[in-house]
Amino acid sequence: MSIQLKVDQLSWQINNKTILHNISFNVSKGEVIGIIGPNGAGKTSLLRCLTNQQKSTKTSLVSGNVYLKNKQINHYSARELAQHFAHVAQKAEAIFSLTVIDIVKMGLLPHKGLFAIDNDHDKQQIKLALKKVGLADAQKVNFNQLSGGEQQRVLIARALVQKAQTLILDEPTNHLDVYYQHQILNLISQLSITVIMTVHDLNLASQYCQRLLLLDRGKLIADGSPEEVLTDAQLCKVFRLPCTVTKDVLNQKPRVFFSLPTQLTPNLNGAN
Amino acid sequence: MNKLLLTLMALFVLVLISAIAGLNFGPADLSYSQVFQCLAGNCVDKISQMVIWQVRLPRVLVALVAGMGLAIAGAILQNTTRNPLADPYLFGIVSGAGLGATIANLSLAAIGLGDQLSIALPLAAFLGALFAITIVIFIAKILQQMEQLLLAGVAVSFMLGSVTQFILYFGEPFATNRVIFWLMGSLSRVEMSNFYVIASVLIVTIVAIIALHRQIDALLLGDESAKSLGVNVDKLRLLMLGLCAALSATIVAYCGGIGFVGLMIPHIVRQVIGVTTLKLVIGSALIGGSFLIWVDIIARSALADAEIPIGIITSALGSLFFIFIMIRTRNTN
Repeated sequence: MSIQLKVDQLSWQINNKTILHNISFNVSKGEVIGIIGPNGAGKTSLLRCLTNQQKSTKTSLVSGNVYLKNKQINHYSARELAQHFAHVAQKAEAIFSLTVIDIVKMGLLPHKGLFAIDNDHDKQQIKLALKKVGLADAQKVNFNQLSGGEQQRVLIARALVQKAQTLILDEPTNHLDVYYQHQILNLISQLSITVIMTVHDLNLASQYCQRLLLLDRGKLIADGSPEEVLTDAQLCKVFRLPCTVTKDVLNQKPRVFFSLPTQLTPNLNGAN
Repeated sequence: MNKLLLTLMALFVLVLISAIAGLNFGPADLSYSQVFQCLAGNCVDKISQMVIWQVRLPRVLVALVAGMGLAIAGAILQNTTRNPLADPYLFGIVSGAGLGATIANLSLAAIGLGDQLSIALPLAAFLGALFAITIVIFIAKILQQMEQLLLAGVAVSFMLGSVTQFILYFGEPFATNRVIFWLMGSLSRVEMSNFYVIASVLIVTIVAIIALHRQIDALLLGDESAKSLGVNVDKLRLLMLGLCAALSATIVAYCGGIGFVGLMIPHIVRQVIGVTTLKLVIGSALIGGSFLIWVDIIARSALADAEIPIGIITSALGSLFFIFIMIRTRNTN
């Protein structure tokens, strides 16, 4: 598989505090990659640096290189990057009564000139994207009236219209119930494009990602298949909790169980 | 034919009807056929020719473009700042124009050049408005938060308003009266040349909006979302603010303070036509233009022997509309 994205010794410091430290890895075309780790590990920060959203300032220093198709990422314009990366936020709040089609149409922006109007091909693309995410009949529905899962699907449809080769998702299942968590991740894993996402739930990551990057305090601790990354020893060390990893009987993927040590259990009986 | 196109055509017809009504209303009793004859170049007499071509037509056309401009400026400011309460007047534009007009009025009166006011007043008002908006942008830049623009605008409005009131308090009474009347807004002294100036700025603004409508739409889902689509959010917001400020300042310079149009009209358009930039701007132009023509008709025909300043009517209607919206929103929730 051809390498799409190459991360070479990427570091990020804010006021001498290390956010990311010497991170290197490659992303091949079509891979579904999950970035996992505890809160503050640097998952979202890594996503920001991958897409050139984080640049060096007076107080913040980003070093190392990220290459997109062998060209340094900061040599691409914002518009070119938008043609390559599509972001799906955890939650989007539309001001005013934006409809589903209004939002999906935004995906055309990186490919349109200043005075260009929507042509039949664009309309077809929008229809197809909405069909793919199962919202073909919801074009005129107010976005804010949709459930969290439906809103996520609208944003994925927008990413499809954006024709991006890499989908970037930050905690896509955060506000969703179990049904929608599986629905969204199943949809994402079947899109046949490169996906890089941060995931909190290790079992969802195990089930839907081909490859996992385990971060802890800004460092890349492990990089590999779910079987290679989700091990008792590594997870116990990173999450600082006793951990057991078994095999899921249905899909044969690793299944992670954490147990709470007695000293962390709240003493409810003693509460006044 | 789809619903949107039908609505826009109906609104276009409304603009035509409003304009014809605007040409027909007035102290000189002219029938519709006389108005049409005059417009076709066959006026029955010289008086009706003068009334139509030199008094009513400039007035109707300025009302049309001023209403269009204020409504468009409001719509764009609301969409680019993601704030439904944004209005050109909240960005300090009127208070800046008021200060400029006050200084021009009182200083020219003091040196005996009061007859030069027809040029000096709009120019000073325009410069005052641009001065105000420059301070607002400067404050927002210092804060490094463009979303604070509206709050900075309110602060600058009060600051410049207090300076104006201080100058007026100690100013010559006749000049002070003139400034106060100007601040209330009126179309009674407008000329055809004013229409050309406002229309030119309006066309430039509309062309820029058409070119950037997709980018402005992207802001409706938040700054991060727009950035991920390749939009330079700060530059876009600054450009749109600059254009809206220039447009509003030009209108205020010739017509004085006409409040609430920029706040009220986009709210109506969102209910009737849609929220995305192109629909909103076209709808705001058509409804805003018609609205101000009718307000001007009321201003000159409500009282038998005097004109009501147009800003008084728009503010009264606007505040009632605002209360209506608040009650409706509460009931909906």
